[in-house]
Order: sequence, then C-alpha cells, then structure tokens
Amino acid sequence: MSTSTVAPLVSIRNLSVDIVAAGSAVPAVRNVSFDIMPGDILGIVGESGSGKSVTCRAVLGLLPAAARLSGQILFQGKDLATMAESEMEKIRGRDISMIFQNPSSHLDPIMKIGAQIGEPLRQHQGISASKARAAGIRVLEDVRIAEPERRIDSYPHQLSGGMKQRAMIAAAISCGARLLLADEPTTALDVTVQARILELLKGLKESRQLSIVLVSHDLGVIAQLCNRIMVMRRGEIVEQGETSTIVADPQHEYTRLLIASQPGRRQPAVRSTATHAAPILLAVRNLVVSFPRPAGIRETLTRSDRTFRAVDEVSFEVRSGESLAIVGESGSGKSTIARSIIGLIRPSGGTLHCDGQDVTALTGDALRRFRRSAQMIFQSPYDSLNPRLAVGEAIAEPMIQHGLMTPKAARHRVGELMEMVELSPDLARRRPHELSGGQCQRIGIARALALSPRLLIADEITSALDVTIQAQILDLLRRLRDSQRLTMIYVSHDLAVVRTFCDRVAVMKGGRIVEMGEVSDVLGQPKEAYTQELLASVPKLFGADPVPVEPQHA
Amino acid sequence: MSRIPAIGLRLVQLLPVLIGITIVTFLLVKLSPGDPVRLMLGDRATEETVAAVRAQLGFDLPLWKQYLSYAGNLLQGDLGQSIRYRLPVLDLILGVMPRTLFLATYVLVLSIPATVILSVVAARHAGKPVDQIIRILSVIGMTIPVFWLGIMLARFLGVELGLFPVSGYGDGFIDHLHHLFLPALSTSVWLVPMLVRNLRASILEQMEADYVVASRAKGLPARYIFGRHILPNSLLPTLNLLGVMIAFLIGGSVIVEIVYAVPGLGGLMIEAVLARDYTVIQGLTLFYALGTVIVTLSVDLISTWIDPRVQL
Repeated sequence: MSTSTVAPLVSIRNLSVDIVAAGSAVPAVRNVSFDIMPGDILGIVGESGSGKSVTCRAVLGLLPAAARLSGQILFQGKDLATMAESEMEKIRGRDISMIFQNPSSHLDPIMKIGAQIGEPLRQHQGISASKARAAGIRVLEDVRIAEPERRIDSYPHQLSGGMKQRAMIAAAISCGARLLLADEPTTALDVTVQARILELLKGLKESRQLSIVLVSHDLGVIAQLCNRIMVMRRGEIVEQGETSTIVADPQHEYTRLLIASQPGRRQPAVRSTATHAAPILLAVRNLVVSFPRPAGIRETLTRSDRTFRAVDEVSFEVRSGESLAIVGESGSGKSTIARSIIGLIRPSGGTLHCDGQDVTALTGDALRRFRRSAQMIFQSPYDSLNPRLAVGEAIAEPMIQHGLMTPKAARHRVGELMEMVELSPDLARRRPHELSGGQCQRIGIARALALSPRLLIADEITSALDVTIQAQILDLLRRLRDSQRLTMIYVSHDLAVVRTFCDRVAVMKGGRIVEMGEVSDVLGQPKEAYTQELLASVPKLFGADPVPVEPQHA
Repeated sequence: MSRIPAIGLRLVQLLPVLIGITIVTFLLVKLSPGDPVRLMLGDRATEETVAAVRAQLGFDLPLWKQYLSYAGNLLQGDLGQSIRYRLPVLDLILGVMPRTLFLATYVLVLSIPATVILSVVAARHAGKPVDQIIRILSVIGMTIPVFWLGIMLARFLGVELGLFPVSGYGDGFIDHLHHLFLPALSTSVWLVPMLVRNLRASILEQMEADYVVASRAKGLPARYIFGRHILPNSLLPTLNLLGVMIAFLIGGSVIVEIVYAVPGLGGLMIEAVLARDYTVIQGLTLFYALGTVIVTLSVDLISTWIDPRVQL
C-alpha cells in the first residue's frame, strides 16, 4: 500500500524520551525513527516497558510531566515535539486522536456518553450542544452501537466493556481524524468482543480513510489487523517491515523469540501417561454458587429473587494426573468454580468429592488435610503476595501454619522449592516488589507446591505476564506437573494456551458448561456454536487455521 | 431511570428511623433522674397533689400507653409544655430556630466557596508555596478552639475596631448578616480547613485519573477538563463529609451562640439543661435528630444527582 512516492502522514525522527525520576533520567524510548503512511495500519508490538505506549503518547504530547523528549515528530510540515500546548490542543482529537486500553477508566463516569462524544466536536468545530448530539448519534451508528438515540443518553456504567470501547472510538473519530492511535484497545476485553472491535477498526480505516497505529503486546492481534509491524524492545525498534515478511521471516532474534513464545506456536506436549484409566480425584456434581444481587429498594420490597447464579448446576470429573482446562469469558463463572473447590467460596448447592470424601462436609482436621492437598496459584503475582513479607517467608508460611515443619526445617525446604521453580535461593530474602512479574509468579507456584498438593488450581496465572515470560512459566509448570504427578485445573480465557497445555477442556458460558471433552476434539471440531465463536475470535498469527494439534494419545 | 419512586421509597424507609427517634426521645425523659411533677410543683407540694397531678398528666399509666399518647400528640404538633416557661415547647423551639438556621446557612455560604477556591488553588499548585501556606493555615484553623477564636474575634474586630457587633441577632436581614458575621466566621474557620483537606486530596486523586488523559487526547483545554471533569468527580467525598459536618454544626451551634449571645437553639438548649426543663430537652433532641435525618437525605439526593452510579 505505502509506496515511496506518497508522503508520510507522520514522520518520527530520532525520538527519545527520558523519564526523570528522583534526579536521574531513565530512558523510555531511544532514538526511534519511523513513518506512518496514509492508509497504514501500523502495529507496534512489544512487552511491558518496551516504550511502545510512550512512543504513541509522545506523538500527541500526552507524556507525563516528568518526561523529557527530544527528536522530531513531523505532521503536515510542523514539528509536534516542539509545538506549544495551545497549538497541540487544536490537533488532538481533530487531526490525530487516541483510544486507550481500559474504556471504563478512560471515560468520565459521571458524564453521559453523548456529551463525551460531543466534546471534541464542540471544542474543534464550535457547534451547539444539540448539533453535537445529532452528530454523536451518527457517529455511534458508525461504530455500530445499536439504538444510538437511546445509548447516547447512557452513562458509561450502563454500557458493556465493548460498547464503552466503541463509544471511546466514536469520540476519537467524531471530528474526522486522519490518524487514530490505539493503545492496547482490546486488552481489557473478552476475546469475542476483541474480534468485533478489531473488525470495526478495520472497517473504519476503509470507510473514513483513517490511518491507525495499533499498540499491543499481542502479536496475534497485530498480525491480524496491521499491514506493517514495528517490534520494540527496551525503547528501541528492533525490527520493522511488512507484516507477512516479519511473521514469516523474522530477522531479529527477539522477534523470533516473540513468535516462538506465542502459545499457538507450541506443539502440544505428548503426555506419557494415559489418564483415562486413572482413578477419579475430584468429582463435582451439580455445583451451584449464588451471590446476592446488589438489591435496590424496589427489589427489597417486591421480594423478587435477589440471587445471581454465578455457577449453575455444573458437573465434571478430574482424573488423577490429568489437566483439565476451564475456559470462558469474563463472568462465565470459571474462577468461581476454582475458588469453590478450595473452599474460598461456599457453594450453595451440589457436592464436591475429592478422593471419595465430600469436601463441603469436612470440618476441623479433615478440612485442614484437604486444604493441604488442593492448592491454588493466582492471576496477579504481585497482589497475591504480602508486600511486607520476604518471598522466602511467604513460601515457608503454609508449611509452618499447617504444623508440618519447624521454621528451621521450613527454611531449608524453601531453598529446595525455589530451585524447583528455577529461582536462585538467594532471592528468598527479597520482597515481592524487588522481583519481576515472572519471578513473583514462580514464588506463587513454589508456595502452592510447599504443601505437596495433589491438586493444583491455576487461575489465569499467565494473563498478567508478557508472552515470553508466559511461555517460560508454562514450560516450568509442564515439567513440575510430570515430576510431581500433579493433577491440574487450569482456568483461562486463552484457548491457545489451553490447546498446548491441557488434556481435557470445559467451555463455560453464563455459569454453565456448554461443551466438554478432549482438547483435540473440543478445540479441533467444536460442536457448540459458542465454542466455534470463541475459536474464531482468537487472533491468528498466520491468518490461517490454527496450528494442527497432534493426537494426544498413542 | 425514574427517580421519583426511588425517593418515595426512601421516605418510606425513613419511617422506622423516625419512630425510633421518638422512642428514644420519649425514654430520654422517662429514664432521666428526678420527677418532673416534683419539679413542676416544687418541694413543698403535698404527696396528694403530686399524685393528683401525676394522674392528671397520665404519668400513672403503663409506659407503652404513655408513649402512644406522646406519639399521638407529636402527630398533632404537640411537643408538650415547657416545665419552666409553661409555654408549648414547639412554640419555644420554632421561635428561636430561624436564628440558628440563619447562622448555619451563613456558615455554609461563607464556607463552601472558600472551600472550593482554596482546594482548587492548593491542588493546582500541589507542593508549591501556595499549597504549603494553605496547609499551614488549615492546621491553625483546625487547632484553634472555636470558643477562643470567638472571644478573640469579638475582642479585636468587635470591641477594638468596632466593625461588628459582638452579641445579639439584630433586626432585619442586613442587620442579621452584620450581627452574625463573627459567629459565622469563627465556625467557618474551623469547618473550612477540614473540607479543604478532603477536597484537595480528592481533586489530586482525580487529576491522575485516566479520563483526564483521554480528555486531553480529545484536544480539550486544561481549564475545561478541570472544571467539567475533575472537579465534579472530586466533589462526592467532600459532600458526604459536609453532610456529617452540617449535622454537627446544628448541635455544635451551642458554643458560638453562647459566646456571641445569639438567642438560638443552642442558647435554648443550655437554658433547658440548666433548668432541667425535660420537655424542652426532649423537643430539641427530636429537632436535632430530624435535622440530621433531613441533611443526610439531602446529601444522598444530591449524590445521586452528581453521580448516576450512586443508588438511593
């Protein structure tokens, strides 16, 4: 699409950004140069801290006060890098606009959507509130929000995540911007919603002659939408070029690592032990978990049903040594199941049998024994560790609390466990904030393994991690699963990970299991429409069918 | 969203609260030491007279019957007779209440603009000298006792400079403003710092919010973003604090009213307490409680108006 005869829309030359903190400057972007061509969808991919968002914000002059910028950002013959704030305000939202990662926090919660969409129109075109409203309804139609006349008077909290992102896009394109900077626009959204937003962006590019810069950590998302890719690491561009070229023939070692780390790229591990004949470790029968609905006065007076079934009559079994995946979108009840198995949430109905014992009926010592045998690893590695406790103490804590070891013996065992999760025991004295996300998640795993559990429940453990770290953690878990003979329940929204990591999968929607079976069957030939939609929504790196799954059992 | 039925239901919810208040105020007199009949008749009255008056006033009936008659009288606007003045309690209270309400409104009129201006200035210059000065003044304002400040202001602005009257209520609106300026000022000096600290912190928090960056990305000017997005989002916590403070203010008017000899509810309360005028104490308690309920309800209503996520 972009040829050398067309002038670039934006030219960035030798852009460097330093963040000044406590007297010293930390480089966030180093000497970056690239062009954004008209009609481009340029993808900037990189892990956290790679400088991709900072680059994006620098274009619009939205850097924090502590940032020091040098270099040129040329747009229509002017240098945005040195432009006065009052001049910059005329460009923002009119010529170049931006959308952000979390639509909930980037919309003003107490202002109607219509007013927020109308703001740039009123600011840049000076039109009246009623005209801005009429224009807002038209833009809402463009971003395909149903019933725009009604939705324009909604507040953000009355809209779903996907609709909020559409509203933010509507505000961004309302003045006919030439360039849209999209900073992780789908990261906070479910995969099916993500697919629809990406499709919308593609459509807007055609219908409005919009150029788009898409910033994402997800190479799959980038590859699906963008014609050009720029790979960033540690503030530098390591590689840029046409999407097909980069994906098929990456030149830089880091790009190769990124591609190799994509969960879909990895061959499923062929499990040595056939688990079909193994005894059932966990049997869940008609599990129901209800939560009280936040009741208004009206509901209280009318005594209408005030409970919400997060998990609705769910039954499944996990055999010893097996890895079961529970997948689904947010609100499907998958984490609630995980939490009710280890007793963090009390089920309102149904039974949970572990090793033939009814877990819900356990008390006292028997309950303590059960809790030792089922352990959990959590999503956010930082939040699940006490920030004031050295990580070694965090690992030792369950062993001491359960009275299994003296503090001295526990300290020795901590060293072993840390080696087991491939961390140096020297790190035991560190606090969580002194470790990286991946290291913290390893600590979380070590703590879960400290009690030698039989059942390990992993709740979205890789979704907060960068893709290369995610690949390392999954490799570690794979090794531990085999060496420790662990039975695993792996809760995730990421089908690509599940495909390579688990034996069986249960697909959940609205608190129920819609489809369950061998991973190769369910994800290979899905029978239910919802599973098919989920699979179709997963961004694919190669634009082709997913990597074929090898037969699991010989 | 229909707000009217929600408000109606909220009022229905208040019924048990109001009944609870009347029970407490009723028991307040019943449980207090001393016999009100003795108090009325004096020490030299004979036992027979006391018994006769007791029967006449219904004090010999079972407690629940007495309560029902009390509640029935309340519904008809009868709060009983003042033991000391032999006047209807309601008339006594309504007679002085406007002065206290005037004073409370005066305090708010002085305090709210001052709070908003000082908080905005402090937050926009956070960490700079202006902010530090406002912080130091706030601490001073909060730590000076109201009665001491009242006396000092009366002494210097009132007596020495003769700018303001140091006591009384005055006649007519302008005269009220003139007379009540010093009492309102001394109360505001205590109230404003608390609200400023709260609002400043809230503004600073909202200035960091994601929607501020998103608004800048739309090309909106900083001044507009501050006035239209940051400030409205910051008000809610301070509004709730203000609600508590107003309730406190009505009860707390006692000190200022005594210092400046404003014949308001506070003055009446002190007199009633000293004279053991239980029916007046009872009536005032009821009014204070009602005032608190009304203020809380208003704050909640304003909250839903500011923030659509707040449910009644």
